[in-house]
Amino acid sequence: MLCDKCGKNTATTHIKRIINGVVTESNLCSECAEKSGSLYKGGLYNMLASVLGDVPELKINENQKKCPVCGATFSEIAKTGKMGCAECYKTFGAELMPYLKRVHGTVKHTGKIPNSAPLAVRPEPENADTLRMEMNRLVSEERFEEAAVIRDKIKKLEEKENE
Amino acid sequence: MSSWYACGAPEDDIAVSCRVRLARNVSGLPFLSKMTDEQRRELMERVKNALLESNTPYAKSLKFIDMSAVPHNEAWAMVERHIISPEFAESTLSRAVILSDDESISIMIGEEDHIRIQVILGGMQLEKAYDIAERLDAFLYETLHFSFDKDLGFLTECPTNLGTGLRASVMLHLPVTESDGEIRHISETVGKIGFTVRGMYGEGSGAKASMYQVSNQITLGISEKSAISNLNIITRQLIQKERVKRESLEQLKAEDICGRALGILKNCRILTNEEMMKLLSAIKLGVGMGIIEEKAMPVKLLIEGQPHMLMKKYGSIAENEYDIYRATFMREQLSGIKEV
Ligand SMILES: [Zn+2]
Ligand SMILES: [Zn+2]
Repeated sequence: MLCDKCGKNTATTHIKRIINGVVTESNLCSECAEKSGSLYKGGLYNMLASVLGDVPELKINENQKKCPVCGATFSEIAKTGKMGCAECYKTFGAELMPYLKRVHGTVKHTGKIPNSAPLAVRPEPENADTLRMEMNRLVSEERFEEAAVIRDKIKKLEEKENE
Repeated sequence: MSSWYACGAPEDDIAVSCRVRLARNVSGLPFLSKMTDEQRRELMERVKNALLESNTPYAKSLKFIDMSAVPHNEAWAMVERHIISPEFAESTLSRAVILSDDESISIMIGEEDHIRIQVILGGMQLEKAYDIAERLDAFLYETLHFSFDKDLGFLTECPTNLGTGLRASVMLHLPVTESDGEIRHISETVGKIGFTVRGMYGEGSGAKASMYQVSNQITLGISEKSAISNLNIITRQLIQKERVKRESLEQLKAEDICGRALGILKNCRILTNEEMMKLLSAIKLGVGMGIIEEKAMPVKLLIEGQPHMLMKKYGSIAENEYDIYRATFMREQLSGIKEV
């Protein structure tokens, strides 16, 4: 398929925009997509803002719902692409979901969890086996000083067990 | 202490620098767009105290800079050194940056999120950069407690950063890959797996000085380790590709390109930013291929040849005199540099 705009290059980008409730679709080459401006220029940030910004049915419930903490409405968020506070994610979770899926693909965090970080002290009792695993991991990453701290912990635990 | 760009680093024949950035927000405070100036000031104080008055090994090398006390020119010189973002330099709101001696660590307070921890290192040292950022993050969390949700991860002002809040990137010098047009194809391919390639120092897809930045786009549903290791794999392939292409260059031709660039830089009297970029790219290729002495340090010159960095060195410069000072600077810096 050739680019709708220049008619010369192969179209690689499908652009769907909803402006004032009217859907316009176009197939552009990467060069023309770039030139067509805001949609791709600022990357995902603008993409999200522009997608969120022009969806008519979302404007219906904005009148009732406000974030109880910061007072943001969904149309405000849609306009700026910015959440007002952490609570906004709870308040507008349902509205936001389709767009998060669109941007990230999945909506389940699989990364770091605070306090389970290697350096953080965990409240639950530690046992020698998990500590040993942790130590081996640190050694494999050549983080010897931290590994030494854990080695001392294992020693102390084992001394206790032997008493 | 010398900056990350002034010393040698692994794979730095092609990898210029790598950068890791973590976006974090302190719980109990609204995001920045909803914050009062008083809250911003309070945030700055809290982060400052959490880090500088602590006993972390980093505390000694860090200094707190209130950006409202930094002149506009100086702020832009920081942008040119990749310490802060252009938006952060232009902002008129209360904001601060915590900076390490070698400028490899910069923690922006009051950028798009409450805190942006950035670590930038020369060459390919992504794991090391992430490791430093991760430790700072863990340390700050102890006193500040960041907003976190078990499904959405770290909560950020813009939903595109949700999850890990991690943006990792590598800057690569790819003159040969660029010249045979393959860069466009690569850019489309990595785009399909959640990474982007974009030209540095240029508008849109064009890249001045053949510098390209590869970075992750997706932050939710992927762990930090996977994001970093995928980026590592992609960039190492690009590096390998560029090396192979360099080997097939005709030696005499390569020496001609690099020698000419050095000749112009050593003798010019007027030098535009654009021409400097092009010539330093050739010098960088020359250093990478062992044609020009390593101590030419083209990346350092590229940074220090930017307008506000020149002003930092020479004082106030009239609009029509930049090209003259730039030429003077290059002549000075490269006077003793020879071909190998
Ligand atoms: Zn086109
Ligand atoms: Zn809110």
